[in-house]
Amino acid sequence: MRLPARSIRRDLVTWLAVGLLAAIAIAAIATYLRAREEANVLFDYQLQQMAASITGMPLAGPPLGGTPGANALVVQVWDRNGVQVFLSQPQASLPRHAQLGYNTVSTGAGEWRVFSTLAGGQVVQVAQPLSVRRELAASMALRTIMPLVALVPLLAVLVWFGIARGLRPLQRVAAAVSERSPRALEPLAEAGLPIEVRPLVHALNGLLERLDRALGSQRAFIADAAHELRTPLTAVHLQAQLAERAQSDAERARALADLRAGLGRATHLVEQLLTLAREEPGVSERSFAPVNLTELAHHVIAEHAAVAAARGVDLGTAEPDGSTPDVIINGDAAGLRAMLSNLVDNAVRYAPDDGRVDVAVRREPGAVTLEVRDNGPGIPSAERARVFDRFYRVARPSAADVPGSGLGLAIAKRIAERHDAEITLAPGIAGPLGEGLAVGVRLPTDFAAETAP
Amino acid sequence: MRLLVAEDDPMIGAAVARGLKHDGFAVDWVQDGRGAELALAEKVHDLLVLDLGLPRMAGLDVLRAMRRRGDARPVLIVTARDAVADRVAGLDAGADDYVVKPFELTELAARIRALLRRSTGRADPVLTYGELELNPVTHETRVRGEPVALTAREFALLEALLARPGAILSRAQLEEKLYGWNDEVGSNAVEVHLHSLRRKLPADAIRNVRGVGWMVAKTAGGPA
Repeated sequence: MRLPARSIRRDLVTWLAVGLLAAIAIAAIATYLRAREEANVLFDYQLQQMAASITGMPLAGPPLGGTPGANALVVQVWDRNGVQVFLSQPQASLPRHAQLGYNTVSTGAGEWRVFSTLAGGQVVQVAQPLSVRRELAASMALRTIMPLVALVPLLAVLVWFGIARGLRPLQRVAAAVSERSPRALEPLAEAGLPIEVRPLVHALNGLLERLDRALGSQRAFIADAAHELRTPLTAVHLQAQLAERAQSDAERARALADLRAGLGRATHLVEQLLTLAREEPGVSERSFAPVNLTELAHHVIAEHAAVAAARGVDLGTAEPDGSTPDVIINGDAAGLRAMLSNLVDNAVRYAPDDGRVDVAVRREPGAVTLEVRDNGPGIPSAERARVFDRFYRVARPSAADVPGSGLGLAIAKRIAERHDAEITLAPGIAGPLGEGLAVGVRLPTDFAAETAP
Repeated sequence: MRLLVAEDDPMIGAAVARGLKHDGFAVDWVQDGRGAELALAEKVHDLLVLDLGLPRMAGLDVLRAMRRRGDARPVLIVTARDAVADRVAGLDAGADDYVVKPFELTELAARIRALLRRSTGRADPVLTYGELELNPVTHETRVRGEPVALTAREFALLEALLARPGAILSRAQLEEKLYGWNDEVGSNAVEVHLHSLRRKLPADAIRNVRGVGWMVAKTAGGPA
């Protein structure tokens, strides 16, 4: 069996009904107790009056017959010698001896309230079953709560519809939310909403705003990426057409070599885009683990050694004897490697032929700095802030000669940010093309950094 | 016909230049807007292939400056943005046609030929002059209906002369039509090509005006 879905309305009506019934029950008990108390006072007085009125009456002779009256009073009279001279109701069995004044006695026929008085040498006892009083109190209590009980269904109906009315703003909010689409995420109207709903709508608006921003940057990224992909794809397209048209083997070989270079560029761009997409906040939360930065730097240098050697670029660590102590930090090994690889790749690309690229891992108080320095043209200080933008490439006469995706520094920055690291650009090694570039990544080491022997 | 290609991407620029050369055009390639400005000032190109995303001076600015100067040479824009607004902006700035990346070399060449044809006021793609028929699309030449085999340079020479019948073109002018900046031009290359061309054509088709240059006469048979 399936449980029905939770409903605020049903819950509220149920709880209200339970509360109401409990209140009515308490009222009934209170009324009953109070009515019984009042009945006791009244009936006790009646018993006393009755006893007083009987006193002095000639009560000799056979006991009176008859049935108990409405008040079910029983009267018995004894003489001085303890002989019963009168009993109003033979069926009733009352204790023969009783103390004077008011008494409550238990008999076979229930509890009785007895008033005994001594008058004119006789003991006059007037008794009444307590049940009479209880019934009176109960009927009074019942009369008091009956109208309330009758009102319960009416109240329930009123509450049912009242709650529906009260919840209507929620339905309006739900309708407004369902109208929102990833394309239209304008905030919901907060004016005129009940204070209970407003925090929810406020929170929703915050979420919508963040979502809109995230989607907006995603859309911009996809538009940029599509546009940027078009350039290498156009080149490949054209190169393939040239290969098809080639009329000699030499021409074809050259066209195919160009085509392969074009495919290499397109592939590189796609790989860079994928790396960047993986670094989008929230895409993958890779866990941090101890990473040996020195070892990582050596790996990255080895990866780029062939390309660097082909252009005569001297790529290596800042300490040529390879005695750099191991520096271990907590981080995402794959991310840090992609970051350093991009920085070294850029440096090698922009370094002049027979240029120089140094990679350094330095320990500083509270931080470890990774630095890649080249003797390329450098980046004018006016452009240093913008080079971290996706697809931004420094405009310089020679820039067109250095192929690149325009994503390397954007990727490096994302990865650095994920490590709470600061990435800085400064002049590097002065060379024939300019002041050079030094890219520093300062990784804070509040989390345990240690040096292996 | 000599074209100027302004394209910043080295791979695309190289492929376009090579492809268009293959189609018989003389091609010069510049990689930024300033370079395009300088090359246009030489007034040797018949048409500009202009990428809109040029560094140093945006393609649209090159185009507007050109039209402001009263330079009416045909301009074909190449754009990576296929949004209608971009194409409209290009056409409104004075472009004559556009292609969107990625494009086919054959289509680019066809559009260039169409623009060149219209810029000389012709509707028929086949150049007809007396007994000569020149088809710039197929590079076929016929004399009295009989096909004549011409080399690419010979064809380009004849095409340049037929484009303006009656005008005398100097050797320098013909060289400019035939060769880009990076092409090696022998000192008498034009004469060699002309000599071989004239042998394949009716005797008086191309006339030499001594000391001035060459022309195809605006005869009665004239451009049909």
